Amino acid sequence: MELIHVIVAGSAVLMASIGAYGVASSRNLVRQLLSVEVMFNAVILLLLVMLSSQPSLATLLTIVLISVVTGEIVVVVALLISMYRATRSLTSEPLQEAMV
Amino acid sequence: MADSLLISLALLASLLSLALAFLIVYVRDLIYASGMLALLGGLTAGIAALLGYYLVAAFIIIIYVGAAVMFIIISVSMLGGGGAEERVNPRGLLLGLVTLLGLGFVVFRSPLEVGSVPVAIEVGEVAGELLIRYAPVVILLMVALAATIIEAIAVARR
Repeated sequence: MELIHVIVAGSAVLMASIGAYGVASSRNLVRQLLSVEVMFNAVILLLLVMLSSQPSLATLLTIVLISVVTGEIVVVVALLISMYRATRSLTSEPLQEAMV
Repeated sequence: MADSLLISLALLASLLSLALAFLIVYVRDLIYASGMLALLGGLTAGIAALLGYYLVAAFIIIIYVGAAVMFIIISVSMLGGGGAEERVNPRGLLLGLVTLLGLGFVVFRSPLEVGSVPVAIEVGEVAGELLIRYAPVVILLMVALAATIIEAIAVARR
């Protein structure tokens, strides 16, 4: 690995762990979505570094990944708006109570 | 000289990305956190460009930051910025540590060979593969995204 790959991969691993911490430590659903997006940015960087010997494949995979994540964001935000209208809350407690 | 400049820029962008990721998780106001996510997307695009992936960098800026993250910012602004929230620190710390160790082990012990920097990408080759070799994937992706948007509109209007 070149030094630039080590720097980018190292920061991506740290970023993914920060995102994982954010997902597990917060009960606010918007904060959890933002933390998942932090992890997504880390995944993009890892993908680009790990597949740098096949740059065309890395480019294709990243473009498909970004498209899928964009769709995921649209659905999750729509669900959050719908949930906020029903419960006037953005935390996960009303969901847990509804599931019981 | 060019290599040291490239490495310095990558180091600076990586450190800024880490600081922004930390702030996204910790800052109290969700509107500020969403804005920082846009900045993080911009830095990710910058790092992709430093590695030579100019097409990916443009795609991240246009689609991810320009559409998806802006959608999050506008929605969060409509819902309100949030306030104090209860933190579950031990569980989060444990998951963060497991992710750090597991992912770090997989990445730095991976037998994958990495190429040189910057990578050489032929845009025509990528477009050709996308439109010919992976055409079924692209069609499925378009159908899935269209269905996703219809589903999102239906959920939000309910």
